[in-house]
Amino acid sequence: MRNKILLNKAYPVVFLAVIVIVSVVLLMAVNSMTSPIVKNMQVEEIKNTLRSIFPEMSQYEVDDEVYIIYEDDEKAGYAFIASGSGYGGNIDIMVGLDSGFGIKGVSILSQTETPGLGSMITESLFTDQFKELSASDIALKADGGKIDAVTGATISSRAVVNAVKEKMIEIIDSLEK
Amino acid sequence: MNDHKDRSNSKQPQSCHPQEQHVKDNKKSSSRFWKELAKGIVISNPVFILTLGLCPVLAITNSITNALGMSAGVIFVLLCSNIMISSIRKAIPLMVRIPVFIVIIATFVTIFSLLFEAYFPPLHKSLGIYLPLIVVNCIILGRAEVFASKNSVVLSAADALGIGFGFTIALIMISFLRETLGTGSVEIFGRQLFKLPGLSVHPLTFFISPPGAFLIIGILLALFRWIGVIRSE
Repeated sequence: MRNKILLNKAYPVVFLAVIVIVSVVLLMAVNSMTSPIVKNMQVEEIKNTLRSIFPEMSQYEVDDEVYIIYEDDEKAGYAFIASGSGYGGNIDIMVGLDSGFGIKGVSILSQTETPGLGSMITESLFTDQFKELSASDIALKADGGKIDAVTGATISSRAVVNAVKEKMIEIIDSLEK
Repeated sequence: MNDHKDRSNSKQPQSCHPQEQHVKDNKKSSSRFWKELAKGIVISNPVFILTLGLCPVLAITNSITNALGMSAGVIFVLLCSNIMISSIRKAIPLMVRIPVFIVIIATFVTIFSLLFEAYFPPLHKSLGIYLPLIVVNCIILGRAEVFASKNSVVLSAADALGIGFGFTIALIMISFLRETLGTGSVEIFGRQLFKLPGLSVHPLTFFISPPGAFLIIGILLALFRWIGVIRSE
C-alpha cells in the first residue's frame, strides 16, 4: 500500500502542493499575530521621535505625509519624513519645522550606514547643526552650505542633507498653497 | 522505490563526512548525539573549515550585535528545518526534494523574520536584506541535503545545533576583532563592554569596511587550518 502511494506519478506534485499549503497557512498565522505589534511599534516610534523634536507636543495630526504638531491646542509646527539613499542603504529622517518653516530639529529614524563611520549621522553632533536653518542654507560646507559633514562619511552626510533639503522645499511648497 | 534506494546509496561514499552514514544501533545513539553536536563546532566548522555561507559572514560581522542576531536566525532556521525535513524524510519524493527543502527553509526564515521584526525591530533593521537571504544560505540547504534527509530526527537536531554553534562562534570571533580594531570599543545590544583609550580616538576604520572582513576571515581561516595541520601531524 505504502509503496503504491510512493510510486504514483502524481505523488511528487501532490506532496509539494501539501507542503506549500501547510507553510502558507503557517505564515498567515504568524503574520496575523505579529503585524499588529509591528504597526503599534511604528506608531509609537514616530510619536517618540516627534516628542524628541517637539518636547512640548500635546498631540499631533497626520495629514497625508505631513504631521501637524499641536502644543496646548495651538499649531506649533510641522514634521515630515525625508528619505535618501546613503552609502549602505536607505536613510529615513524625521524633520521638524517650526511655524515659520525653519528647522526645529532633525532625527534619524533608520539607517544602515557603516558602523563607526556613516552611523555617526545619528549623533546630535551632526543633527543639531540643522537647527534653525532655512532650506537655502542646508548643504554641506564643501558645497557652500552651513553643515559640517561627518569625518570620513561624506556620502552619508550628503545623502541626509540632500534628502532633507529636497523634501523640505516640497513640503513647504505644499503647505503654502 | 528501488531507484530511490540506489541513488541514495551511491551518493553516500561521495559525502564529505563518512561518519554521517545512517547508524541503526540504538546503544550508540547517545554518544552519536554528542559527536554530531561537537563536530560542527571545530572539525567541520561551517565558516572556517567548510567555508560555506561566507556572504552574510562578510557582510554582517561589522558589529557583535549583528553577528548575534544573524546567528540566532541561522540556529533557529537550521534546527527547525533539520527537524522538519528529517521527520518527513521517508515521504519526500526524490524528484522534488530540493523544492521541498527550499519551501520548508523559506517558511522558517519568514517566521523568524516576522518574529524578529515584532520583538527586536532595531536589530531587524540593521540585519536588513541578510535576514531573508538565510533562505539561500548554503549551510542550511547543505545540512538538509547531506544530513537531515538521511538521519534520524534526534541526530539531525544535534547536527543543526552543532553547525549552528560553530557558525555563531565563528561570527563572534570575526565581529569581535572587526569591532575592536575598527571602532576601538565593543557594544552588545547598546551596552558598552569596553573602550580602548588610544584606538577609540583613532580607530582603524579599515577593519569595519568590507576589505577588513576579507582580511580578518583570511587570517582566522589560516589559523584554523594551521591548528588542523598541527593536530593531524
